[in-house]
Amino acid sequence: MTDSNELYQAILTGNAKKAHATTQAAIEAGVAPMDLITASMVPAMDQVGRLFEEEEYFVPELLLAGRAMKSAMELLRPLMVASGQKMSARVVIGTVKGDLHDIGKNIVASMLEGSGFEVIDLGADVSPEAFVAAVEQRQPQFVCMSALLTVTMPAMKTTIDALMTAGLRNRVKVLIGGAPVTTEYAREIGADGYSENASTAVGLVRSLLAEA
Amino acid sequence: MTGRERILAVLAGQGADHLPCMPITMTFASDILGAKYLQYVRDHRVMVDAQIKTAELFGFDYVSTISDPTREAADLGANIHWYEDRPPAINEELALLADKSVLSRLQASGPITGRRMEDRIRGIERLRELCGSELLVEGWVEGPCAEAADLRGINRLMMDFSDDPSFVHELFDFTLATAIDFAAAQINAGADLIGVGDAAASLVGPRIYNEFVWPWEKKLVDSIHANGGRVRLHICGNTRRILDGMGTLGCDLVDIDYPVPMDQARAQTGPQQTLAGNLDPVRDVRNGSPETIGQSLAEVLRQAGSRWIVAAGCEIVRDTPHENVRAMTSFAQSHAAHGMIQ
Repeated sequence: MTDSNELYQAILTGNAKKAHATTQAAIEAGVAPMDLITASMVPAMDQVGRLFEEEEYFVPELLLAGRAMKSAMELLRPLMVASGQKMSARVVIGTVKGDLHDIGKNIVASMLEGSGFEVIDLGADVSPEAFVAAVEQRQPQFVCMSALLTVTMPAMKTTIDALMTAGLRNRVKVLIGGAPVTTEYAREIGADGYSENASTAVGLVRSLLAEA
Repeated sequence: MTGRERILAVLAGQGADHLPCMPITMTFASDILGAKYLQYVRDHRVMVDAQIKTAELFGFDYVSTISDPTREAADLGANIHWYEDRPPAINEELALLADKSVLSRLQASGPITGRRMEDRIRGIERLRELCGSELLVEGWVEGPCAEAADLRGINRLMMDFSDDPSFVHELFDFTLATAIDFAAAQINAGADLIGVGDAAASLVGPRIYNEFVWPWEKKLVDSIHANGGRVRLHICGNTRRILDGMGTLGCDLVDIDYPVPMDQARAQTGPQQTLAGNLDPVRDVRNGSPETIGQSLAEVLRQAGSRWIVAAGCEIVRDTPHENVRAMTSFAQSHAAHGMIQ
């Protein structure tokens, strides 16, 4: 399908204007939003992740692809809401309290969104209370937390504890990531998973969803 | 040999009685002194006392004025978040150059400001005075790419490379000029070595690094050399794809972080490049034991060869067991600088 291929290429090359125009044209031609997502957007973001893993793409290319994907999604989201279509799962994501580093979290958020998940991005410096409120109100299947500093990592545990206190811990899978974070730390604080980078984070969410 | 002589000998490619040990300490050093990190970053006398106490306690060969990435940005007027016991950070939402047009009106800040850059310079003067020729004194500047990220916001800068290359060139000209002046003032104050922290460069691939980053880093390295200083390049993160460029900057010392295999770093930077690193600060140094640290360092030495300085890939994190840090010094002190076990 030509439209799909054009959108795929636009996302892969980080061309936001082309992604937007192609998506607009496809919608006007009657292509279903979910078809565009599954035939173009998800494969494109998968390929972006592969190229990152292979060290052909780097952070600038990931951000540009994410921006292109979002420019298409802006057009698709209202149509999907109007027709009652839902994404495969909902993810709440944020950088933990006290930590302003958000570039890694932003990349994970856009990779997840481009992979067909609904992403609620709480931003950086997110308090445990804000995570709890988002879980209560938005009822996600996943909570993803990021920290770049060893001194802010403990806020991940504080947030998990807050989810437990609020009686919400069993409703969500909690995933963590960031440079100083390890699999052992995830186990230690009672998280459900750890991912080293954005590409593997998508795979982790998919595999946990398949298990559910 | 004194620690200073030992490091300078290894940087010059000469042998030394044993390997130098130069782990980066910031919050770790502050904790050793029992000071809050806010005091450490705002009062050079606290930083100096903490650095000397830490170097003496663990037998390091140097003291450093690295503290946080915001000294230059703060003096230029950036919005800084302060914390009582953690490094200050820059709020990207309120970045000084969130609006690109501000760059043309931005006034350069000389290093003698009475503010944060001058505080580091005073720290270097005091370290030189108190350490004499016993320990090497290290200054620090933000590299052109890192400072650009501090001023513009790293998310924006990463897309500017594609969206507006000429703006990036202008921005890097500005950050380079700031770094050159700041480094020169630190050399005048007595710094033997200037650390150039350019971590943001680890996020880009070779195409962007070669076009946008390397030429400005090269000018900074050349300027520091022309002013009589030496250069330690510190780009933490995964630098595997830009190592070739890093190795041709002419730096006296290149730090290698843990995502990069040391044998690859050696192969790509060549036999004449002095390297430092590259234990994982969390997994190897904090979570390891003296035994595992000794084993890991032996393997790094095997891969790095003789022009190598013992260090972790980045900062020693604050809750690292003291015996683990001592294991790094013990390893250095029991191995000659030509790489042969004594």
